[in-house]
Amino acid sequence: MAVSNMMRYALGAAVGIAGLGATLPASAVTVMASEGESTLANHTIAYVLTERYWAVYENKDSKVDCPDGMNDGPREQFKKLFPNDGKKRTVMETQLAREGYQWHPTTTPEGFPFKEVQSKVSYGLNLDGKVGQNDFAGPDGEQGIDNQLYRVIGCIANYRTAGTIYHFENEFMRRYDNDRVIIELTGVDSLKNDPDVTVTTYRGLDGLLTDATGTNAIPGGTQRIDMRWGKDYIQKLKGKIVDGVLITEPVDRIEIPWGVTFNTSGYQVFRGMRLKLKLTPQAAEGVLAGYVDVDSFTYHLNTSWSTHHHSYGQLSSPSEYRAMRRLADGYPDPKTGANTAISSAVTVKFAQVFARHPPDSNTLVTRN
Amino acid sequence: MRRFRGRLAVALIATSACMAARADVSNAQYWQAPGSSDREDYIHEPFPPGVQIVQTELDGPVYADGSGHTLYHWQLKNLRNGDTGDRKKSGTSACTNEVYKETSGMQSPYPPGFLLPELDTRPSCDKLWPPYVAPDDAKPVGKWTIITRKDGAKQWVYDDYPVYTSSLDHQKGDVLGGTKIEKAGGSGVVRTPIGPPPNVPPELKVEAFGTGHMLVDHKGYSVYYSDADSPGKSNCDAKCQAQWKPVVASDTATARGEWSIVVLPSGIKQWAFRKHPLYTYIPDLHARTLVGSDVPGWHNVYTQRALPPPKEFTIQDSRIGQVLADSHGKTIYLYNCTDDALDQQACDNPDSPQEYRLAVCGNGDAKVCRDLFPYVIAKAGDKSASPLWTVMAIDPNTGHRAAMNRADALQVWAYRERPVYTYANDRRAGDADGDAFGEFNGYRNGFKAFWLRDDFLDNAYRR
Repeated sequence: MAVSNMMRYALGAAVGIAGLGATLPASAVTVMASEGESTLANHTIAYVLTERYWAVYENKDSKVDCPDGMNDGPREQFKKLFPNDGKKRTVMETQLAREGYQWHPTTTPEGFPFKEVQSKVSYGLNLDGKVGQNDFAGPDGEQGIDNQLYRVIGCIANYRTAGTIYHFENEFMRRYDNDRVIIELTGVDSLKNDPDVTVTTYRGLDGLLTDATGTNAIPGGTQRIDMRWGKDYIQKLKGKIVDGVLITEPVDRIEIPWGVTFNTSGYQVFRGMRLKLKLTPQAAEGVLAGYVDVDSFTYHLNTSWSTHHHSYGQLSSPSEYRAMRRLADGYPDPKTGANTAISSAVTVKFAQVFARHPPDSNTLVTRN
Repeated sequence: MRRFRGRLAVALIATSACMAARADVSNAQYWQAPGSSDREDYIHEPFPPGVQIVQTELDGPVYADGSGHTLYHWQLKNLRNGDTGDRKKSGTSACTNEVYKETSGMQSPYPPGFLLPELDTRPSCDKLWPPYVAPDDAKPVGKWTIITRKDGAKQWVYDDYPVYTSSLDHQKGDVLGGTKIEKAGGSGVVRTPIGPPPNVPPELKVEAFGTGHMLVDHKGYSVYYSDADSPGKSNCDAKCQAQWKPVVASDTATARGEWSIVVLPSGIKQWAFRKHPLYTYIPDLHARTLVGSDVPGWHNVYTQRALPPPKEFTIQDSRIGQVLADSHGKTIYLYNCTDDALDQQACDNPDSPQEYRLAVCGNGDAKVCRDLFPYVIAKAGDKSASPLWTVMAIDPNTGHRAAMNRADALQVWAYRERPVYTYANDRRAGDADGDAFGEFNGYRNGFKAFWLRDDFLDNAYRR
């Protein structure tokens, strides 16, 4: 086992060196890529998450998506609620009232209109197997795409490509190791076609392997699997590989580490999550889709990003919560019947990695 | 139901067994025994008559006035929309007798000009932080100099910043106005206790953790000692040295105080602290970790640590490390608060305005607040070995301090005279989901878990 790992590490180093070489001739890179076939060893291959964005389909003209413009954020709403009219107000009835409202959101109607995205096209998957009137079409024309979260966040600047959350949630994911997401595929006979594979999610403990710029993740790194603090992130999914695309069955509930910065270590909760990833020996790329839990999503937003940061991208957390509740389309509460989760998609990229399990991790345990 | 939500669980370890194994906090690695004589040594530097050095449990040696009241700085810090505090070498104090009535707007995104709470009783900065007054005939000594305040009073200055006492400190050894633990980015402009520099070699530094003063090397990497070594002698052979790197002393280094020199067979000099040869752990990926202490027989090194918390408390594994928890395994939370006035008054203790806390944890409703972040109720007669932990009477409806004998008061555990809390939505032992609840990730007006260990981030040494 140790020898095998050493060989893997040596190969990883070789691939890594190839990745360093923006200046290497294309033929050299090709040779290295073909060697990468042996990254599938013992019917196992692992990947580490290197990119992660909430899937927001943006037409070239944002007026197509958001004909009425972007939604207001905390600053804009605050100014409308408390105009500079010379009236003396207390911090309790203004700033603290807005903070309290944010930390205890409700579905009670508010005075601000919410602008839903108007695009008919969205990234994502058909989660319920149906084609409904509220569904989107995929960029490739596939019908029945379920991504009601896009309808909510598509006209919130923070989530679009110029937005703070769009940029920094990805950057911080790459920077902080508590966000290191590993998927390990086992029982794999071929990366082209295999009717039965197992995908296990873990948290890794190590930084991403990058090229010499320090920003571009490359395959061949090594990740130690976190079996001590990361037990909550271990999850097993069944899947298949069809024409080089991994498709997993939905898993009822999964938590994915999603810390940001400022010493936060939050996570997202997905229901019915599944992966659709195009696989190569060096990378996996595609969509993580499922129903994101509305309460957890809002709580994550508030604990990970301050109102100050929400303001950067005109993101009103209470307004977003209200819209999410209204458009939630999955996992009804058994008591109230109200949907608790909303269909969503995350575009993801992974780089091949060598997963190193601790020697005593054959018996997996979770915090109870 | 959440317990069986489809995780891979080939073998389950019952929570109760885990908690039982972690129930006793008294022998934990984080604290020193009540009888321990470990105290941080310091460099003796000249100071004015009337100043004294007081050894304190959490913050080590601090300067104090003649009555034992700890001395503090209020150093300039930038907030999102401006800065406040004392400027180095400015010759003036920014803490005056002015009573600020309105918010400053320095804490984005909210504009300035809103009336502050409890204005009829709001004190001025210099009432909360009385300047440490120098006599008219005072003379500068060492790092201590003198400025003249606007009212003509002389004020001591240490290391180019004006010096204050805190109205929160009542007796010798109290350090309730602030700590040496560095504040995190989202916090207000807080006050910090001052003290003589720690007596450590130039290759090393002292880092103020949540439970003690840890030694790190000049790059911030943790320093360790081994049970396998003999006093003043390293038994770390070549195999050991593949993982453990001696902390090298310069050729000219000499023993001093608790510091001695071990000469290795190669002739290299190695620092030893309290006769323990010191090492760094080569596999440490991050600075200031406890990872090396997971290796049997190896330990992080502290100049001093706090005493154990209440006996009923426990230590629990969480997602990024370990947290302090109550007897049921529920994570303990500390509440942080600084207001948005120019003098940045603290609102984190029960003698300060409660409107901030009630807004974030209860949307202004005290009951909602109590239900979401319940106080940690103490039993009658509870005491802790550590003076940092006390039982406090709290008015449940106002959140203010109550008379101890008041019938409807809650008897709650307090840390540094601030009540501690649990979070209702933490379902399992070790959950710390209430961490970062509140403004600016819980640092400005909100809750942070009592992190004891954090293998990924800075929570164990930033508050």
